[in-house]
Amino acid sequence: MSQPILLLKRADLEPGKVRKCEVGGVALAVYNLNGTFYATQDGCTHATASLSEGDIVDDDCIACPVHDGTFHIPTGQPMSFPCEHPIRTFKVIDEGEDVLVDLDQESDEAADAV
Amino acid sequence: MCNTQGDTPIRLKRRPIAQSIENLDQLMNLEKGRMSRDLFWDRDIYEQELERIFARCWLFVGHESQIPKAGDYVSTYLGEDNVLIVRQKDGSVKGFLNTCPHRGNKVCFADLGNARQFVCNYHGWAFGIDGALKGMHASETYEAAGMDKSEHGLHPVAHVDSYRGLIFATLDPEAPSLAEYLGDMRYYLDAVFNMDEGGTEFIGGCVKSVIQCNWKYASENFVGDILHAGWTHDSGAKAMVGGPVAEVHKTPEQSYHVNFNGHGWEFNQDIVGNCATLGEKDLLKYLYVLQPKVAERLGELRSKMIGAISSCTLFPNTSFLPGQNTFRTWHPRGPGQIELHTWTFVNKSAPQEIKDKWRKGTMMTFSPSGVFEMDDGENWEYSTRSNAGFVTRQQDLYLGLGHDTRVEDTDLPGNVFQGQINEANQRAFYQRWLDLMKADSWKTVPQRDVPKMKEGV
Amino acid sequence: MNAKTALPEIGVDAETQRRVEQFLYREARLLDNERWDDWLALMAEDIHYWMPTMENRRRADKNGTYAVDRGALYNDNLLDLTRRVTRFKQPTAWAEDPATRHAHVVAGIEVYQGEAPGEFIVHSTFVNYRSRVEKDNDLLVGRREDVLRAEGDSFRLARRKIIITQSVLMAKNLNTFL
Repeated sequence: MSQPILLLKRADLEPGKVRKCEVGGVALAVYNLNGTFYATQDGCTHATASLSEGDIVDDDCIACPVHDGTFHIPTGQPMSFPCEHPIRTFKVIDEGEDVLVDLDQESDEAADAV
Repeated sequence: MCNTQGDTPIRLKRRPIAQSIENLDQLMNLEKGRMSRDLFWDRDIYEQELERIFARCWLFVGHESQIPKAGDYVSTYLGEDNVLIVRQKDGSVKGFLNTCPHRGNKVCFADLGNARQFVCNYHGWAFGIDGALKGMHASETYEAAGMDKSEHGLHPVAHVDSYRGLIFATLDPEAPSLAEYLGDMRYYLDAVFNMDEGGTEFIGGCVKSVIQCNWKYASENFVGDILHAGWTHDSGAKAMVGGPVAEVHKTPEQSYHVNFNGHGWEFNQDIVGNCATLGEKDLLKYLYVLQPKVAERLGELRSKMIGAISSCTLFPNTSFLPGQNTFRTWHPRGPGQIELHTWTFVNKSAPQEIKDKWRKGTMMTFSPSGVFEMDDGENWEYSTRSNAGFVTRQQDLYLGLGHDTRVEDTDLPGNVFQGQINEANQRAFYQRWLDLMKADSWKTVPQRDVPKMKEGV
Repeated sequence: MNAKTALPEIGVDAETQRRVEQFLYREARLLDNERWDDWLALMAEDIHYWMPTMENRRRADKNGTYAVDRGALYNDNLLDLTRRVTRFKQPTAWAEDPATRHAHVVAGIEVYQGEAPGEFIVHSTFVNYRSRVEKDNDLLVGRREDVLRAEGDSFRLARRKIIITQSVLMAKNLNTFL
């Protein structure tokens, strides 16, 4: 099991916002959904696009800024056209003020999904 | 046309400025109040209008209240050019041609809405609300071809600006500022769009219809033709108020034609004359209560214009009626057709029931089912269509009313004429039309009117 | 067309169906013949006669194609309808002289029980063709949702919603009722 890596401080990302973080050579989109943090791959699985430039819609989905296809943030599942393939999720670990990510593990929700 | 703007790449090819139609001066003799019917029929004249009027002037595209939030947009027209007017994340407003730079398809088929991006249905080219090309379906293939996305955004309109909530756009990078274009007409615009410090808003959506007439018949009607109301609209007045239209030709000492840069406003000072035709006493009370406050803000004269018998056209094709509160654009669709888009405007701070009554009032009077507009369309259609006749088309038209009515000794801005039964504004409208049609660029459009207002007001 | 009826659709007996059909056919004939006062007499005191204008919006746009506080060609009560009829009857109603020729074609009449006793929800489709002077011809096609209220041995029209297919009205005016 790899070492969790510091993503950002909780205070650095407001609820309802998404931002891009580069850690360990991987571009991540990091989300704050009402105080719960999530991380997914930043690149869209449909076309060349950075999901962190998109908007959070329907409470917990990310709308791709290019074609407006959506992914469910907690599980990474594609929700609407033209997105068909899930995005990779990463396990986020809360440590007080720090938000860390484990690049070797999926989010709990994705791991639980069948 | 916008090929030199900012970092926008040079377009591959553009037709050089069309050769102007010769002898345009012979189309009118305004001194004698004579005008040729070719203005309303000739296809070549129409094509030149698209280039020298509609691709050049500041045209109305929307009201600030229609697009309050980032991503809010309306789809409208500059002449026959379909444009998207979009609120940006920084609160500014941008405009783009509604056409994909890839194969030319429309990128937005909705009339209005909120968008995070505009995606072309054809090959999935996707544009941000700032017009930038962000990606496309099968984007790897474009990347392999070395295509630079930054060169293929939506084509921007040259300038967007607003005055008192009214948003205008121009396709000509060389156009003067909006303030200069509107000039002294802003003084009068304030009587309606700044009568209340909260400003105005558009309510009730947009009602659209088609009339088989030349666009100038509609514009010149609103620029100065109260004369027709007493005759054309007798039936509507009897329906709404039980009597004929007020005999405004009997009291010219209380009424005016004013114009500037081809814009024109005819008005008297009866405060509520237009509004009265809606048949809603509560609206009259609202204006009567407001009038003294407007007098404090804007002075006596303008306070009496807030709902008076009056009409206005902003050159070339946007018009409104104070008091009846209909706002409209006559989009040209060839020399013999217009598409009419109408809205209802109200003071933002007015009570909801007052707003609702105005929304209903415009529908009852100035909409395709309205008891006044019902009789306008047929007049304009047959003023246009009769010119199909070759010999008919050679016969001049008359617009000579009010030749010696210019008021020289006045502090009022603009060109002022005594008496609202007049054709001074129509003549000024056609003079402006002729000036623009003859000029090969904004630089050679003569500045006939000297502003009294400062540009930055 | 996104007209939806929330009420369960409870049918009526054949005789009621026949009488409602007869009512609508007669109404159409009164309009074809410009019998405006007779037509007005079919309206209930509390009539809401509504013909919204259609907006082209994306399906995902929750604002919908039309709404009661947006654009309308009719959004009338009895006074409003009476005012329109008053105009039709003026000798100075220039766009009615020479007379417009009308054909109101009504079809697809469905009758269901209404919310209140004696009220009926009536769906119908219509084709309206108007011809003026030499060759001004205007065609409107749409769907109506009415509430009819039984009165004596006939009905009054208490509510009408008219949904047309056009978003840009392809005519210079709308000088009829639908």
